Amino acid sequence: MSYESIASNVLEQVKKAGATGDLLIDTQQSLSLKCNQGKLDEHKVSSSQIFGLRVIDNQKVGIAYSEADDADSIDSMVQQALQNARYSKVDEHTAIVDDVATLRSDEAWLCPEDTTSIDEKIEFALQLEDALLQKEYVKNCPYNGVTDQLSQQYVYSTSGLSAFQKSRGAVAYAYALAENGEKNAMCGTGQLYRDFADLDKTAIAEEAYAETVAMLDGEPIASGHYDVIFDCETQNDLFGVFTAIFSGKWAQDGLNPWREKVGKLVAESTLTLFDNPLNKNGFGYSIFDAEGVATASTPLLENGVLKTLIHNSATANFYQQSSTGHATRGAKSNLGVGIHQMEIAAGETSSSDLYAGDLVVITDLSGLHAGANPISGDFSFGASGYLYRNGEKQQAIRGITVAGNFYTMLDAIETIGDTQYWNWQKGSLMPSIRFSQLTISGS
Amino acid sequence: MLDSQVAQRVIDHALSVGADFAELFVEKHHTAAVSTLSDEVEPIQSGIDFGIGLRMVFDGKVLYGYTNQSNAEELMRIASELAAKDRRSPVVTASAFDFTTGLTQHPSEIILTKDFAIDSKIAFLMAANKSAKAASEKISQTRGYCNQREQHVEIFNSEGLFAQDTRHYIRAGMSAVAADGSEQSSGSWNDGGLLGWEIQDSIDPAFTGEEASRQALTNLGAKACPSGRMPVVIGNGFGGVIFHEACGHLLETTAVAKKSSVFHDQMGEMIANPVVNAVDEGLSKNAWGSINIDDEGMPTQHTQLIKDGRLNSFLVDRLGSEETGFARTGSGRRQSYKFAPASRMRNTYIEAGTDNLDDMIASIDKGIYAASMGGGSVSPGTGEFNFAVTEGYYVEDGKIQYPVKSATLISTGPAVLKEISMIGEDLKLACGMCGSVSGSVPTTVGQPALKVDDILVGGNA
Repeated sequence: MSYESIASNVLEQVKKAGATGDLLIDTQQSLSLKCNQGKLDEHKVSSSQIFGLRVIDNQKVGIAYSEADDADSIDSMVQQALQNARYSKVDEHTAIVDDVATLRSDEAWLCPEDTTSIDEKIEFALQLEDALLQKEYVKNCPYNGVTDQLSQQYVYSTSGLSAFQKSRGAVAYAYALAENGEKNAMCGTGQLYRDFADLDKTAIAEEAYAETVAMLDGEPIASGHYDVIFDCETQNDLFGVFTAIFSGKWAQDGLNPWREKVGKLVAESTLTLFDNPLNKNGFGYSIFDAEGVATASTPLLENGVLKTLIHNSATANFYQQSSTGHATRGAKSNLGVGIHQMEIAAGETSSSDLYAGDLVVITDLSGLHAGANPISGDFSFGASGYLYRNGEKQQAIRGITVAGNFYTMLDAIETIGDTQYWNWQKGSLMPSIRFSQLTISGS
Repeated sequence: MLDSQVAQRVIDHALSVGADFAELFVEKHHTAAVSTLSDEVEPIQSGIDFGIGLRMVFDGKVLYGYTNQSNAEELMRIASELAAKDRRSPVVTASAFDFTTGLTQHPSEIILTKDFAIDSKIAFLMAANKSAKAASEKISQTRGYCNQREQHVEIFNSEGLFAQDTRHYIRAGMSAVAADGSEQSSGSWNDGGLLGWEIQDSIDPAFTGEEASRQALTNLGAKACPSGRMPVVIGNGFGGVIFHEACGHLLETTAVAKKSSVFHDQMGEMIANPVVNAVDEGLSKNAWGSINIDDEGMPTQHTQLIKDGRLNSFLVDRLGSEETGFARTGSGRRQSYKFAPASRMRNTYIEAGTDNLDDMIASIDKGIYAASMGGGSVSPGTGEFNFAVTEGYYVEDGKIQYPVKSATLISTGPAVLKEISMIGEDLKLACGMCGSVSGSVPTTVGQPALKVDDILVGGNA
């Protein structure tokens, strides 16, 4: 039975029960290859599907899902969602979006034809590992691999929504473990493209090696307060941990410290930040959200002023405004909100001025999931990077921590660079930002 | 769940294309999540995961695939596709399945497929919320949850193994937010186990709410934490995450076999202070990280990792055993049918010593008492790890002075194990989820309170 037929059957049952609802169907096909000491170590192929149903019955929401598509499992999912709804609170703000539409996002550039054979992919994976194993000091390459994944998502609703999006992503990554006497270090990097043929194994290996060898000589620096620049990877990670600060859902739940700050200055006036889901160069590209609402570039911070929180239809109703097109939903979860593709506007500071004087550049953060508290904004992470003196890179640093409060840190921006960079997973586009006087703990 | 004749056909087919070893992991997994926001019930979520993972091994190389379908044709198609580049003449023949089944060591009563128990879970969370809010007017929000799962697994392999198990998981807890003007802080508490909702008999909802609020209120008035190298006393229970990160991951053959663990060549060597004894086991009755069998069908066991400071055993799965020569320890685990198994921890803890908490704190000139810990992570190749303090106190002249805000502790496994100088009598276990190459699995961390003489504290003072 086709997905469209299954959806029609499910939504008909929902309507017969006097409810409304939407059905999300996620499918994935993927290939994963890993190598160990010149041999293919793991070869994994997978194909999966999941159906996720949300029903709204008498203003109460229920969620159920199934990975099986036989009639009994699908019927059971419908009945379970309806039963779950009976226990939920009355939510007068949640409704199925009633704009009837057929939406598709499956252009060829989003999902290019796979022209690379499995033999070529295996050879690529072996050569990527070998490129690192051949290098001086490299003991092994414990984490490496390539993946190629095709993802499809369908959304159907009782209001007539029929949305479909499809995309492909090819990843290659490698981490080198190097030893020199008693010293050791492990660093790595990766690349993500829509077409496997665009991956550059030499560039990955060279970047991973350069970082690893540099860190062999890394030492802690003296504890103190330093100006800090996070590189494009760690800055993306840091902002990613605290994106709930823009969440309308988090505000509605009474958790967001910025819930009453819309229209107010919350950051240094040089900071302009927006969500730009229509930038085709990123992997957060999306023309509609999980409710089928059209997306658009959305200013969040403009010259330091909080312009809006991000909303789905329910949080927008709560705040008596329109959805900003930021609905998210997984097959197993309720409606939420999320940023598609964060972008920070470039500043005016040249690279030489940005790195002038003394500062620390952070290139790796550890403990991101445990070391940050979005409720308070406090963070403390393990870190490594480089110490700059008088604008020159002086030494590699490791075995330090960097700590601060993210929300007050946004008000302590020294300057912003004039060039934007994607992180390697192409989820955000940001210039380098120099933050003043963060706490570094070291020797 | 899977007809044994279908399993036999698929395994025969896998061996016919040249595999040394073939295994089917069949899983049906029921889940239900009840949550509250203050005194309101959030949308309840439930569902069923079902799938089959096929693992084939060719000369040490693992081929893995999975599907949501249970017919022989689909599974044989996956086997053929996986083996396309390795196909050769058969090297072994399959043994007939031995249908002898083991005993369930972790009995459960109120299980998901019989009773969702939604009413009593809601009542529990409402009572916890009431207690949390009663702690102070500064408690502005609570979020409660009861997550229950029932995982049925069947494992067939080409050596004639047939094993089945049912695992009932329950975890309930609450987080609280305290607010004072523009300042916010949070606290949380939870408990769980390998059992059903009868855990409600051993968890007090009032304590659940009070403890979440107590921690949130403590953090609300906390000062910035000092930074630098200093002695730290780490509280019992979830404090055991230090051993999990500093040592546990480095003893998994997943890292050892690739020589990407700093301990790969240290078997029998002194790797810790002689006061340290540590184990990983799956036998603790109804404990969160316990199992009856691992996800390769081997019965669980008690594994002494460190004895009097000396490395005694690694955590060994099937492939790890073949690659390192060490005997399997029943440690092959995976999140679901979507992952090939790997060597993983179960209930991992430092055993009780003879010191007490007051003496440890009294021995500190200037340092930190980390009463409650968050999660952490480790880089096995270098042993560098970090973990977060979620409730801490500054100690001076042997006395607790004031609460401090969250901080991170960092070190390396080999270094910190030698810095543990005092171990308390108050062993306690706590629930956690551990993420690694075979997904996220329930693991227990644990320890008595212990003192680390020197570690880097990443505070913000």
